[in-house]
Amino acid sequence: MRAFYSVLALFLGCAAFAAPANAQWPPYPSPNVPRTSDGKPDLHGPVPRTAAGHPDLSGIWMNEPGASGAAGPGQPPPKPVKPPPGQPPRATFFDIGANIPDGAPLRPWAKALKEKRMAAHDKDNPDAHCLPLGYMQFHLHPQPRKIIQTPQEILIIYESNYGLRQIFTDGRSLPNNDPEPWWYGYSVGHWDGDTLVVKSNHFRDGGWLDVHGSPLTDQATITERYRRPDFGHLLIDVTIDDPKAYTKPFTVRVKQRIMLNTNLIEFICNENEQSSKYYVK
Amino acid sequence: MKRTVLLVAAICCGSVLTPVAALAHHSFAAEFDHDAKVKLTGIVTKVEWMNPHARFYVDVKDANGKVVNWNFELASPNVLMRQGWTRHSLKAGDKVTVEGFRARAAPHVGSARTVMLPNGKTVFAIAPPSK
Repeated sequence: MRAFYSVLALFLGCAAFAAPANAQWPPYPSPNVPRTSDGKPDLHGPVPRTAAGHPDLSGIWMNEPGASGAAGPGQPPPKPVKPPPGQPPRATFFDIGANIPDGAPLRPWAKALKEKRMAAHDKDNPDAHCLPLGYMQFHLHPQPRKIIQTPQEILIIYESNYGLRQIFTDGRSLPNNDPEPWWYGYSVGHWDGDTLVVKSNHFRDGGWLDVHGSPLTDQATITERYRRPDFGHLLIDVTIDDPKAYTKPFTVRVKQRIMLNTNLIEFICNENEQSSKYYVK
Repeated sequence: MKRTVLLVAAICCGSVLTPVAALAHHSFAAEFDHDAKVKLTGIVTKVEWMNPHARFYVDVKDANGKVVNWNFELASPNVLMRQGWTRHSLKAGDKVTVEGFRARAAPHVGSARTVMLPNGKTVFAIAPPSK
């Protein structure tokens, strides 16, 4: 089993280099890539910066290995991995709390709801019905996402199910006019040094943060701290503050890596959705 | 160790799907039973190279000689393309041997784990599923 996860990790590591030859657009070189002395992309090279001096987060990003949390056939979930000192535990695609000792701090009703969702084999996950993915699914999906950074706003296009987030960095505040709750909520961002701090709220109630259905309610505020420590890596620390579903705020880390010479591929989920006809009742 | 190295090589060549990639749209257990393995040989009648899952259909003769059309699910075309497959990798008329898992709630639906052509070439191989 250990070997299997090693293989999985290596695949995810390889994907950035395997992708360009097989995407729909012919390979087209990414601009301004720092190179090592032997001409290879230098993922530890300098961070691109905007005219205003902020790190430029623009690019196509894939998961760093270790983000799945998938169990083998008939196997229990992988054991929690203790993070290095000073770092938040990593979230996984299946479970935001997978690496938190004793799991995410769910309130009893939220714990019961998550267990109910899992007992139904996660078949009611909105993603399984071509509806929008939960925040953590978007962050940790094996399909990549593209960040487009402008001075006034940052867009994130998630290839999976063509998710789209708009993060305003033009100085506006989060809305306080009783806005319509949205699947993706409302997001504003500001720079704290080299860290982009994004706050989001006004989510639809009854949300799924991850595949196993960790709840997200209409009382949630999500804070994401985006940091690009070098050319090739992105760190996102996500804090969930949802007093309706959780006893206290908690923070998890997402790690991503740049993908070069490639682009997103169209994904129209309802093109031929048949799986739901065969889900267990 | 040797087996692991071979698997790694296969993965980097783009010939094996990851369980996460294959299951990104829905949990495996929502549709399939990992205790119900299936191995069938038949003729491909149709390939649907569409999201959220590519599918192919295979005419298979049952024990009584009756032909049954099976519906096999794969990962999304996006994932398959990034691993080197194309819409031309499998076509109607191909004879294939499919190994995979049966659906829980439908008799002739499955998740394809490996698809083998008569020349021994493997198409759309898939790693073990999640729970």
